[in-house]
Amino acid sequence: MTDSDQHPYVEWIAREAQRPVVTDQAARERIMMAVRSEPVPVRRSRVWARVFEPRSFRLSPVGTTLLAAGLVGIGVIAGKVVNNRDVRPPGGEPSVSVAVQPRLPVSSAVVDTVVKFVFVAPQASKVSVVGDFNGWNATTTPMVRTPNSAVWTVTLPLTTGRHVYSFVVDGSSWIADPAAPLAPDDGFGHASSVRIVGRGSAL
Amino acid sequence: MIQLPTPVRFRAGRRVGNSVLAVALCLLSARIATTQEPDPLLKLDPSSRFAVDLMLDSATAEHLPTRPLSSRALEGITRKADGKRIVDAVRKELGYLRTARAVLGGVPDDELSAAAAVVEAGAKPAQLAAFRTRHKDRNDLAAFTYWADLITRGVPAEDASSAITKLWQDGADDATFYSLWKSVQSDILQGLNPGAALQNRIRETPGRAPSSKAPPDGPQESQSQ
Repeated sequence: MTDSDQHPYVEWIAREAQRPVVTDQAARERIMMAVRSEPVPVRRSRVWARVFEPRSFRLSPVGTTLLAAGLVGIGVIAGKVVNNRDVRPPGGEPSVSVAVQPRLPVSSAVVDTVVKFVFVAPQASKVSVVGDFNGWNATTTPMVRTPNSAVWTVTLPLTTGRHVYSFVVDGSSWIADPAAPLAPDDGFGHASSVRIVGRGSAL
Repeated sequence: MIQLPTPVRFRAGRRVGNSVLAVALCLLSARIATTQEPDPLLKLDPSSRFAVDLMLDSATAEHLPTRPLSSRALEGITRKADGKRIVDAVRKELGYLRTARAVLGGVPDDELSAAAAVVEAGAKPAQLAAFRTRHKDRNDLAAFTYWADLITRGVPAEDASSAITKLWQDGADDATFYSLWKSVQSDILQGLNPGAALQNRIRETPGRAPSSKAPPDGPQESQSQ
């Protein structure tokens, strides 16, 4: 490739680049004064540079995976924090105890007694026990059917004291324990039963 | 058109991709964490939950047990009751607890809950006050529980209250209350009028029953048919 083959713009750029630069002496002085008036840049420490200076990283796939796992962990923790956040509006009354946890199986009594619940339901395909000891969660405490019988049982450690409970048959029918005292109507149209645990109780 | 070298484009694209992936994982895991172990009360609508929270805080401030209140709310949630009904149920429970506390004064939480159930069943505060004579060595959980049961089964509140109070003051133990309750329940199930069933059985019940009737501590069993 020769010069004559070059594009006119390229030739023009080459000419301009080769042209000597003539600067005014006064202008040079002004520039130099401006430069001298600038404060001397402070040399930052290595720590500063290490922490704050931008830098680029190169991560291996394994490193990326570990980083992602760490971020997932942070996300899990953040999720739990968000989950347990109080919902009351800001500026409300300060609460003595924030109602974020179910506040459930917190009993002053800590002594556990093993209690066996027995329920006879020949036609049932699924029976569970719900009560204040499991947050009324119908999936937490399923009962087990004794082979070749209609008897469903489950054994639970319960804290000493009074417990209200009910049986849930086939996920929809709530039935009070016929062998236990009734609790008053709960306001939801169903009766529950009462079990007193410990203290030599007859219940 | 400017053409960047291929390695530069690849690195930049990978970096952006990694960042997006990391942020997405972070958000996804936060979402999963939120749904994994939710506070059951979160299932309430915000205004109902706020009302329930206020009542829980009120109970705490008044040194009343919060467990019956949160239990009632959770029961309503499991039974798919609407928020207003749940709030009403919790409010009523708080009222019963306040009444029981006003009558009985400082008693353990379980006894207070059992006494509140008696009020909830229909006993009047005056009837609870008549029972109030306290013996420090006796636990009145069973008496309260059978009392509430009898009223719930249809025994007139006045009859049940006087019978239970009389037995209690005569020194009846848990086994005596259990025996009375079992007999009355059996009679009611056979069709007898609840009030009459209690009157019949209370005559047969001694003031003091042998304490050997009480089953020993340990595994307790409930047989339901």
